[in-house]
Amino acid sequence: MGKTSLFNRITKLHQHVGNYPGITVEKREGSVKANGKTYRIIDLPGTYTLFPTSMDEEIVYNVLADKQNPAHPDLVVVVAEPNNIKRSIVLYQQARELGVPAIFVVNMIDEANAKGIDIDYQKLEAYLHTKVYTTDARNGKGIAQLVQAFDERPGYFPGQFEVDSVHKAALAEAKKAFPLHTEYQTWQFIAQENISFLTKEQQQILAGIRERHQLSSNVLQQAEAIKRNKKIEEDLRTIVLQKDNHHLHRTNKIDKVLLHPILGYVIFFFLLFLVFQLVFILSEPIMDWIDENFSALIDYTASVLPEGPLSNLLTQGVLAGIGGIIIFVPQIAILFLLISLMEETGYMSRVVFLMDRWLRPYGLNGKSVIPLMSGVGCAVPAIMAARNIENTKERLVTMLVTPFMTCAARLPIYVVLISLVIPNETFLGFGLQGLVLNLLYILGVVAALLSAAVLNKIIKNQHKSFLIFELPSYKTPDWRNVGMNMWEKTSGFLFQAGKIILAMAIILWVLGNFGPNDKFSNAEDYVQQANPALSEEELDEEVASFRLEHSFLGYMGMGIEPLVKPLGYDWKMGIGLISSFAAREVFVGTMATVYSLGEDVDPDDDEERETLLSRMRSEINRNTGRPSYNLASGISLLLFYAFAMQCMSTIAIMKRETGSWKWTLIQTVMMTGIAYIVAFIAYQLLK
Amino acid sequence: MQKSFSLDLLEIGEQATIRQLDSSELPSKFYEMGLLPGTVVEIKHKAPFHGPIGLQISNSNILIAIRKSEALHIFVEK
Repeated sequence: MGKTSLFNRITKLHQHVGNYPGITVEKREGSVKANGKTYRIIDLPGTYTLFPTSMDEEIVYNVLADKQNPAHPDLVVVVAEPNNIKRSIVLYQQARELGVPAIFVVNMIDEANAKGIDIDYQKLEAYLHTKVYTTDARNGKGIAQLVQAFDERPGYFPGQFEVDSVHKAALAEAKKAFPLHTEYQTWQFIAQENISFLTKEQQQILAGIRERHQLSSNVLQQAEAIKRNKKIEEDLRTIVLQKDNHHLHRTNKIDKVLLHPILGYVIFFFLLFLVFQLVFILSEPIMDWIDENFSALIDYTASVLPEGPLSNLLTQGVLAGIGGIIIFVPQIAILFLLISLMEETGYMSRVVFLMDRWLRPYGLNGKSVIPLMSGVGCAVPAIMAARNIENTKERLVTMLVTPFMTCAARLPIYVVLISLVIPNETFLGFGLQGLVLNLLYILGVVAALLSAAVLNKIIKNQHKSFLIFELPSYKTPDWRNVGMNMWEKTSGFLFQAGKIILAMAIILWVLGNFGPNDKFSNAEDYVQQANPALSEEELDEEVASFRLEHSFLGYMGMGIEPLVKPLGYDWKMGIGLISSFAAREVFVGTMATVYSLGEDVDPDDDEERETLLSRMRSEINRNTGRPSYNLASGISLLLFYAFAMQCMSTIAIMKRETGSWKWTLIQTVMMTGIAYIVAFIAYQLLK
Repeated sequence: MQKSFSLDLLEIGEQATIRQLDSSELPSKFYEMGLLPGTVVEIKHKAPFHGPIGLQISNSNILIAIRKSEALHIFVEK
C-alpha cells in the first residue's frame, strides 16, 4: 500500500505500464530526474518474502535473484511500514544476502506514533548496516532525501542468517555448481523448487542435491522463516518499541460492524448495489456527451472529405470504431474508481474475509471477489486482478469464469435486443424490460459460479489451497493512488481493447464494402432489373442491402447460416455474430450496416435507435417467414451474448496471463459452446 | 501446563500462544505473516458458517485472516 504511494510520489506522472520480458506480466515503471541524471524506477508487487507462493511474488524473486533479468535493479529500495517493520527487515536482509544492493525506507512515519510505535533509528541503522530513510508518502516528507540516496550501493552483507550445520554438506555441493553466487543465493536455489530462470540441467543438479540429502523445500523455507523471525524478534527488542495501537482500536471498532456475521453482509450487498447504481447514473451524462460530440465529429469529417471509399473508411470504419471504444470509458473509469476506493480504504480485504466461505465451494477464493466484481466493467483488467490469488488452480478458475460476468460491452446489445423483443409492460409493478436486464446480470453471476464448480471438479490441484491475508487498518484513501489506478485500468482498456476493436472495425468495413463478384459492383443494375418500379430513395436502400448480401461479409453470414439456423437466426444476424467475435460492442454498429442505415447508429441516441429498432422489427426471417426478432430468437440471441466468448482482448489477456494457449482455447470453446447449447434450447422451446 | 489444542477452538476475544504449526499442511507464508511459535494471538472475528477467522498478532498489532481449515493445523496453548 504505502510502497505504491511512495512510487507515485517520486515518479509523479512520469510512469507507464509495460511488460516484464518473457513472462509478459504487467510492470509499473516510472522515472525521476535527480542528482543530475534520470533514474528508472520499477514498482514491484508487494511481498514480504523471497519464497514466492503467488505469481506476483515470483516476479519479485526473479527480478531480484536473476542478474540476467532485464529488470534486475542496480538498487533495491525496501519500503517498510512502522507497523510491520519486522517483515520488511526479513526481506531487506534476504536481499542484501543475495548480493543485491538495497536501502531501507520506513514509510508512513507520521502514523508511527498513533500506532504506538517508537523506532530508534540509530540503532536500526547499525543493525541493518545501512542508512535508514524515513518518508511519509502522504505529505511528501523525506522524499527528496530518499531520491538523493539513489546512488548508494550498500552491497553484499552476509548478515543474520546462517545455514543450519546439518545442511552444510548439501550447500557445499550446490556451491560447486554455482561458484559465482553468494552463499545465500545458492542456499535459496536448494530451498526453492521450480526457479524459472535456471536451466534444466541446473534444476536437475539441485533436485539431485535435495534428493540425496532428503531435503524438502517447504520444510527448509519454514525453518528459515522461523529462524529469521526469532532472531529479529530478539534483536529488535531494544530498537522498536511497541505500545498500545490506537489505530487498531478504531479499526477493531469499525470491523465489529463491517465484519458482523449479518450486518457485514447486508452492508456489503448494499455497497455493491450502490456501486452499480453509481456506475450507471454517473456515467450516463458523460456517455451522452461523448456520443453527441462523436456523432458531430463523424458528420463533420464526412462533410469536409470528398465523398468516396476513403471518407467512408474514415468515418464508418475508423471513427465509428474509436467512438465505440470511448463510449465505455466513463463506466469503466467510475467502476474502477469505486473499486480502488474500496481497496485503498482497506475494505476490500474485508470483502475477501466475508466472501471466502461462499466462494470456496465453487473452487474459488475470497480473493476472486475482486476479479469477479471488476468483470462487470471489463474482463481485461479483471483477469489481471486475479494475479494475487496464490493458489494456481483457484487463480485459473477465477480467470476462466470472470468473462461470464456481464461486462460493459454487453449492455448496449442487451438494451437493443430487449427493447426489440420484450414487451414494454409492467410485471408485479416492475418494468418487464428492466427486470429482464437485471436477470441477465444475475445470469452472468450464476454462469460464473456454476462453471467454476464444474471446472473445480475437472482441474487437478497441484497445491493445497490456502488463504492468509492481512486485514489492514482502515485509512482515508490516498487520492493519488486512486487516480493513478483508475487511469491505468481505463487507459489499459482503451488502448489494448481499442487496438483490436479499431482493427476489427476496419476489417469489417472492408468486408462489408467489397464483394467477390459483379453482383456487388453492379448492384444497381441487378436491383433495377428485378424491381423497375422503385422510387429513387427505395432504390438506394435496396441497392445497399443487395450490396451487403453480395459483399464478402454477406457471403460469410450466409456461410454460417446453417450453423445459426437452429438458434433462430438468419444470415444477417449471422453477420452480427461473426463481427461480434472480435468484440461484442461491434454488434450494434454491424446491425446498423446490415439493415442499411448507412450511418453509425448510437444505441443511446433515441431517434436513431428508434429507426434501427423499427427496421429490425419489420425484418422478416426468410427461412421461417416470421419476424427475425421475435421472442424466441431474441431470447436466444440474448442468451448467446450472455455466455459466448466474444472478445479478442479477453482472449489476448488470457493467453498473456495463463501463458498457455490450452486454457485460452478451453475457455473460448467452453463459453461459446455453452452459449450455443443454451441459445439452441431456448429457441427450440420458445418458437 | 495445559495441553495444546487447535486454534479454531478459540472463541472471539480469547487469547492464546502459538505452540506449533503442522508444517506439512501449511506453507512457510504462515510464518512469514507472523504466525510463529511463541506468538500470542487474539481471535477478533469469525465469519459465519465456518468462514475465515480474523486474529490479531499481539506483538505486532497486525490483523491476519486465515481459513478455519488452516486454523485446524495451528496448535495453541492458553
